[in-house]
Amino acid sequence: MTLDASISSQAAKPAPRRRWRLAAWAPLIVLVLLCGLITLINPNFMTFGNMVRISQAAMIPLVLGLGATFIILMGSIDLSVEGGLTLSAVILSMLVLNGANSNTFGLFGILIVLLVGAGVGFANGVIHVRLKIPSFMVTLGMWFVGVGAANALLGGMAIRINDPMIRRLAIERFLGFPWGVWLALFCLLIALVIQNYTRLGRYIYALGGGEDLAALSGIPVGRVRILTFTLAGVFYAVGGVLAAAQLGLGNAQIGNGRLFTTVTAVVVGGTALSGGQGSVLQTLVGVLIVVVLSNGMVLMGVPPSVQIGVQGLMIIAAVALSIDRKRMRIVK
Amino acid sequence: MGNKLISGTLGKPIKRRDILKGAGLIGMAGVFPAILTRSAFAADKPTVVNSIRSLSNPYHATWNKGGAAFAKSVGADYVTLVTEGNSEKGIADIKAILAKTGGNAVINVDPNDSPDARAIVEAAKAAGAYVVTQWNKPADLHPWDYDPNYVAHISFSGVPYGKAMAETLIKKMGGKGGIVALGGIESNVPAIERKKGLMEALAAHPDVKLLDYQVANWSATEALDKTNAWLTQFGDQITGIWAANDDMALAAVEALRADGRAGKVPVTGVDGIQLAVEAIQKGELAGTVAWDPYWQGGMGLAIGYAAKTGVFDPAKEPKEHREFYGKGVIITDENANTYYAENIAAEPKMDWNDIWGRVSGQIQYD
Repeated sequence: MTLDASISSQAAKPAPRRRWRLAAWAPLIVLVLLCGLITLINPNFMTFGNMVRISQAAMIPLVLGLGATFIILMGSIDLSVEGGLTLSAVILSMLVLNGANSNTFGLFGILIVLLVGAGVGFANGVIHVRLKIPSFMVTLGMWFVGVGAANALLGGMAIRINDPMIRRLAIERFLGFPWGVWLALFCLLIALVIQNYTRLGRYIYALGGGEDLAALSGIPVGRVRILTFTLAGVFYAVGGVLAAAQLGLGNAQIGNGRLFTTVTAVVVGGTALSGGQGSVLQTLVGVLIVVVLSNGMVLMGVPPSVQIGVQGLMIIAAVALSIDRKRMRIVK
Repeated sequence: MGNKLISGTLGKPIKRRDILKGAGLIGMAGVFPAILTRSAFAADKPTVVNSIRSLSNPYHATWNKGGAAFAKSVGADYVTLVTEGNSEKGIADIKAILAKTGGNAVINVDPNDSPDARAIVEAAKAAGAYVVTQWNKPADLHPWDYDPNYVAHISFSGVPYGKAMAETLIKKMGGKGGIVALGGIESNVPAIERKKGLMEALAAHPDVKLLDYQVANWSATEALDKTNAWLTQFGDQITGIWAANDDMALAAVEALRADGRAGKVPVTGVDGIQLAVEAIQKGELAGTVAWDPYWQGGMGLAIGYAAKTGVFDPAKEPKEHREFYGKGVIITDENANTYYAENIAAEPKMDWNDIWGRVSGQIQYD
């Protein structure tokens, strides 16, 4: 219901309203069909144990996707996902109880890491807005700055995390699900509140829908952009904490491949790359589609060499399903 | 054209100045690896150069330490080049160092991709520098075709070690049960060879069943997700996990830990990274193979340096000294403590003059 409401309020035009509804629900329908298909082939899919494992696999892409959703809603793109995540995970591994130095900052370490993530995002935003460099370029650079800094900090080694509180996120469970999953759901809740009940959330949609109009109506465009990139940076830092908790270590390769999953999940969920259309709940659906598909392909015994190709096909299919061709005049 | 393409995807125009700014930013990011490279050039002794993929993985970082240790032992200037997975960058950096040193250099290279080796060897020959390659080269490129500059090629056969790990695993499992296996990138030679070794071991133990083989592309993240899916699919049928490298093996251990089964299901890796050795000491990993990248980084240079400084003439060496398999060290719970104390806790002690000490046969191509 919330999903439908947030979408239809965006598409104010009366004529294409029915089409939009279908397009918005398409990812959810795909998810249900996918689950049905996999269950038919391997009934183990629908067990509680597997639901827990899917949630474990989904928690990091979800948190990263939440941050990226805001950026994409704004009509920008953020390629610094892996940079922010890697730097956060590495710094976390150096601050909490670990196998390499005598730091034991614990919870305080997590706060520092969130600040680092915010800093990376803030830098993205300020460079993007003040120097008027496209977000594509700034965040591409920041990706390598983040990974490079992580490299410089560790000199290529990996640090084992021994802090029981961090490891608890991945290992200990509450109501059957690991604490990390609850943390990710908490992030989803925060993102929903920001999206639906704050000025920032409304401004982000306004910017994505038409930045010129938004500026003319008095929205502080530059400040909104910087704030949104900072917010996304915090989400990537949470992703970094979860990744470090899951693998029990921090190294400079921990982020490899995360950008692809994140952008895929956001797009598959139906958030338009052109901005203005989509929501964090759709990203949740997108993440579940990506994770269920990769889990299901193993369960169904799809040959490894075919799996990556199937994911590529899925992206194209998802975009094809979710775009509104009536409103597009030129496609480049 | 490029301008149009980028502005098209972003939906807003990009000025040339913007692109320059962006390029400047990326350039600044590129300085990071350069900071890690020392670059003082003395004219008398040959400069010794290691060219490796990156400093962001423990394997190549240790390789780099070995190189630095050798350079220190002979008092030569030491330079580290990183390809960051980019063949063009790798070759261009080597050509730059050849030009800078006027060919008075010894290069020990782990080529990013097999075809790169030819370009690197030809550039070194033209400049008069000496080169040793490791792991990757085309099968028809031989050191003896480029005497004396192409000194040697060193590799490690994945078959016996993939097999040894599978056997370690099967022994831990009590000779029967079900194995799931995590493979490296499908087209990589080490991945293919290690898998072949696994298959040979399985053929010799009919009571052990291979439940599934999946490619996790050497990546811990992918290995974690694949192992999680297997725990659903096979559950208690899994009594052992074989992984083609340590990163994937350790991720499998974490997946087992989240399931409350770490240490109960034996797991093996390959590569011998520090965390893997520690996991063996804790009883969570059953075994790994150390290639000793410290030896690779130092000895590759030592062999080239000895040839360059006239200690031996490469052209007069037998072919089994020109293209050879090195020796891996099999680490299990029996020797993990000793290995840790000698190679990880302390700086490894190497005799850099014992250049043929780890030759274990000429490389075979099929």
